[in-house]
Amino acid sequence: MKEKLLLVGDNPFHGISHLSQERSKARISGSENPDYAADLVCLALDNGANGFMFSVSETTLAILKRIREKGEISRLGLYAIVPYAYEYVRLATQTGGLVGLAKRFSRQLVASRNLGAIASGVKGVLGMNPEALLRTYLSYEISRIKSAAGKDVRIESVLLHEVITDMALALNLDWLFRAYSKYLLKCGVTPGFNTCNFPWLTTKFREWSLDVEQVFIATPFNRIGFQMSPSREECEKALACLKAPTVIAISVLAAGYLKLPEAVDYIAGLSNIKGVAVGLSREEHARQTFRLIKEKLN
Amino acid sequence: MDEKKLRIGIVGLGKMGLAHTSILNVLPNVEVAALCDKSDLIRRFFKKVLRNVPVLDDAEKFSGYGLDAVYVTTPIPHHYGVTRTIYQKEIARNVFVEKTLAASHKEAQELCSLAKKSVGISMVGYLRRFYVTFSKAKSLLDEGKIGDVSSFKAYAFSSDFVSTQVESRESGDRGGVLADLGSYAMDLALWFFGDVSVKSARVESIMPNDAEVLRFELCSNQGIAGVCEVSWCMKDYRMPEIGFTVEGPKGIVVVTDDWVELRPGGGASSRWYRQDLNDNVPFWLGLPEYYREDEYFVSCLRGGCVSEPCFESASKIDKMIEDVKSKLGKVG
Repeated sequence: MKEKLLLVGDNPFHGISHLSQERSKARISGSENPDYAADLVCLALDNGANGFMFSVSETTLAILKRIREKGEISRLGLYAIVPYAYEYVRLATQTGGLVGLAKRFSRQLVASRNLGAIASGVKGVLGMNPEALLRTYLSYEISRIKSAAGKDVRIESVLLHEVITDMALALNLDWLFRAYSKYLLKCGVTPGFNTCNFPWLTTKFREWSLDVEQVFIATPFNRIGFQMSPSREECEKALACLKAPTVIAISVLAAGYLKLPEAVDYIAGLSNIKGVAVGLSREEHARQTFRLIKEKLN
Repeated sequence: MDEKKLRIGIVGLGKMGLAHTSILNVLPNVEVAALCDKSDLIRRFFKKVLRNVPVLDDAEKFSGYGLDAVYVTTPIPHHYGVTRTIYQKEIARNVFVEKTLAASHKEAQELCSLAKKSVGISMVGYLRRFYVTFSKAKSLLDEGKIGDVSSFKAYAFSSDFVSTQVESRESGDRGGVLADLGSYAMDLALWFFGDVSVKSARVESIMPNDAEVLRFELCSNQGIAGVCEVSWCMKDYRMPEIGFTVEGPKGIVVVTDDWVELRPGGGASSRWYRQDLNDNVPFWLGLPEYYREDEYFVSCLRGGCVSEPCFESASKIDKMIEDVKSKLGKVG
């Protein structure tokens, strides 16, 4: 039997808690330090984790750089989520909306000296070609990861952030799912989609004749149905209908609301789970969490 | 009997416009029939992306599309002009405007008159009313769990401009900190306590990072005294947050975006997180509140009932914003 993906999640490293802002503030006071975060990821690897799921941001790129410097990067499969929506929303707020954001991104792209991406971007803007712009953006993000983690790093998957995935689902943008998957497969990376509307996504993929079994889907699964739209029952039904395990369960602790043993018991009872991603903010978490998950899931 | 499909137009394709467009597109029997944005770049992009929906450069061009309702999601300074056009050109009788209703109370009042004449449904997008935590707090207060409210403290904080210049054009487009953030607290105060008026206002610095905070005192028609603090320069607010502490003779209710707590005098406290309050929706985009808000507006359109906050209710917030500015010595 193939080993499950046991991924360290990055929410605590960004000071994110979906339980409360108080908890976010508490997290900001420690685990966002790249050295500490890199140590936690390595400790989790020693205790059963085999990958890192992260939003591509300056913080996580600094963590990857530290892991590389420690000589541990080859032990890690990377599951990158793009874009880091929070940062882009904040930039849009500060730069005056989408047009300001586009200008800022263009400057960053030029500064990156990624010639392929620049050429594709110019072509995309001149022809107002969304697919070319998408390729430009993906190429830029992949180059950022490689620049931090090294050229030989194992980028297993690049997952589209839930806000973009869910917006594209709502707007029936089947071309976006096709173009995204096609480009990443060409790069030798498994395309992935982060969504809070898992049953909707599987239904749409079948309607559009896209192969849901050829991608990774990161989506909430937890005992209390938190962020599982439209309901836990519907998500479980959609999961059972998959022909192959492609789902990476996220929010398994329902944002810290559930205790680890009860959360893992629920996940262990589901079919078609490819793996889980769980965030860590303390050393004892790094030791205990993945040992327990590995024991229960494998 | 089959329900008629509602045809809706959206003016302004920024992040709020896109969020509403997406949610409306998944609501049953709703059709996004036309879009509008003044930016040529944005129009060209969306014409390519949304291949079956016309993307126009002027709200006037919505005429002839047979729209049942229009969403106005432009920057605040354009709300008045766009909404007035929609009513005056009889493009639609029903209008949803993102908060705040207008850039001034005078403009807001004019829009109220136009909405009244149109005999349609009007609504302003004060999203916090659709948070499960604030709904729960409203229920606790209405059920008299803490008795007759005597006072409240509120805050509206974000870190959006912690390390940047606030006096930029962009912050002006968002209406300044009062319209952008403070208006949420004002709306919740109106919802919880009825009509409130501004008694005083001043700017203070709050430690630890010496953040500039607007502090104003409020009083409701029932004599409930309140204090509200607003800032978008507070450190460590990863997301903007609104919170209230409400006191009554029988206890206290504390509510934030994420949880609500009832602290009865002498008894054990109860805290409910979003996880406890059935937060799921049929389609989740970013936050579940976006779906609830649009679903509510559409259900009001179908039922022909008043939606809250309607223009009349929301115009009171524009008045409060103006009163705070005037007490600070900054008019307009």
